[in-house]
Amino acid sequence: MERLKNQRLMLGLASLGAMVLSYTLLSHSHLLRPEIVPPAREIAVAFTELVVGTHPPPPMEGDVHAGHQMHSSDHVGTLLQQGVTLQGSLAITAARVLFGLAAGVPLGILLGLLMGFSRRADDYLHPIYVLLRSVPPLALITYVMLWLGHSEAHRLIPIVYAVAATMVIPAYHGARDVLGTYVLAARSLGARRWLLIRKVLVPAAGPTVLAGLRYAVAIAWMTAVGSEMLMSENGMGNLIVGGGLWASRTQTKADPAVVIVGIVALATAGWAMDALAKAGTARLTRWVR
Amino acid sequence: MLPRNKKNNFFSGPGIRTRTARGLLSLGALAIVYGVAAEIGRGRLPDRIWLGTHYVENVQLLPPYGSLAEEAVFLLQSGILLSSIAVSAGRVLLGFMLGAAFGILLGIATGRATRAEYLADPWVTFFRFTPALALLPLFVLWFGYGEGSKVLLIAASVAVVTLLGAHQGVRSVPRVYLEAASALGASPGLAFRKIVLPAALPHIFASLRIGLGLAWVTIVVAELIDARMPSLGYLLTLAGAYPRVPTMVVGIATIGALVLAFDLLALAVHAQATRWMRRTA
Repeated sequence: MERLKNQRLMLGLASLGAMVLSYTLLSHSHLLRPEIVPPAREIAVAFTELVVGTHPPPPMEGDVHAGHQMHSSDHVGTLLQQGVTLQGSLAITAARVLFGLAAGVPLGILLGLLMGFSRRADDYLHPIYVLLRSVPPLALITYVMLWLGHSEAHRLIPIVYAVAATMVIPAYHGARDVLGTYVLAARSLGARRWLLIRKVLVPAAGPTVLAGLRYAVAIAWMTAVGSEMLMSENGMGNLIVGGGLWASRTQTKADPAVVIVGIVALATAGWAMDALAKAGTARLTRWVR
Repeated sequence: MLPRNKKNNFFSGPGIRTRTARGLLSLGALAIVYGVAAEIGRGRLPDRIWLGTHYVENVQLLPPYGSLAEEAVFLLQSGILLSSIAVSAGRVLLGFMLGAAFGILLGIATGRATRAEYLADPWVTFFRFTPALALLPLFVLWFGYGEGSKVLLIAASVAVVTLLGAHQGVRSVPRVYLEAASALGASPGLAFRKIVLPAALPHIFASLRIGLGLAWVTIVVAELIDARMPSLGYLLTLAGAYPRVPTMVVGIATIGALVLAFDLLALAVHAQATRWMRRTA
């Protein structure tokens, strides 16, 4: 077991190292244009600039051309002018994700439980749910904007919608697939509503619902970033596309170094949130095992 | 409608007829509510809307059925809608097939060989938590505007999902089966074909279905962000620029209908491919 764990670590590190090495070689080989595959150093520069929030001290007037290695792109410049930092953008996006989860998860779970418990509600609501679920939330964004104007609400609604639509499914199956014998047994032993819900239905449906929660977290990040790329002045989506995409689509050109920094930050944040959800889930469903 | 698991159904409920009637009733009620709301809203809802930088005029927030039908007929007759559908669906299918092929092969490999899993693990984890849409600007730089970046973006998002599905599927095969097969003298190839693949199939199909949904989400946004050629995202972008709500609603409805149709198709294929699993208990 210990040996396997070691091997896992070694091989994982080796594969990471090989990737970094081959990337460095490739970006220095001049086989590909550096504006497409930025050298690792440029990515590091973009990262520090975006975290610190300022350019490094400007080079002397004389050696502007000589100071080529202190290159920082228009993309970074535009972002810094707007006072954008990496951690700030990440915090904004994370806040939107959390809001989407806070509003969408209860909504989706309630609808799913309702349809799962009551066959009548299922008959009436399921067709409508299937129709609503089929529409990608981000396709709605322009229409929602007409109703709500260019505001925070129209960025949040697609996230809430996506999360809720995702959470319905595990809640529905969790509730529907509770073994009938459990319910019957509890009932015949005299368990009524509240007791039945607390002692039978929640423990039986809980694990499925919580497993769906992890999927909803990923969906929420995806939708948040997408809606920010489409129309937002802040957040990670905006950082990646270089600001004001909706208004001035072609004016700013994305710098791959910034995009890569953004992607790595998003992946790390998503991973961290998933690890949290996983740990929370494991703790909440300790009794499963 | 979804058939209920017979085992769980102690109180045998109303039959399929009642259930269909109920579904139709609620859909009909929804359609009527919309029609009434559109009629009431006509002339009452604001038609001049502030969009942060400028006003837009003549907006029908809730277009009545008449103008929706008119718009749909226009879009159909001019061929815009059909060519948009063809372009978007073509991208989805191509990207989906590329991504699924890559993801399933890699997933089977990582499921079968522990070393491959360890090697792939950091990358799978990385791409799993990267929102696929964030890759778009990078893909546009690398593969250019146009088809390449969009198809590959879809492929990337589908590949991650199917890889995880195939991996889990291969891992879920009980070890006893494999040991029994090899004890009976089955070659690794035969064991793979007859045991691993069939057992992994449900997982793979489930992931394919998720991947298909994801592919549609991805393509719509990719086309919204880089709206050039006739496509459904382009149609929505144009409609948003004017803004023409009937076009928007027809576009959204078309996308929804396509997603639904693809999903039903995937379900049907899944049911057909795993027929043998149905037991008569």
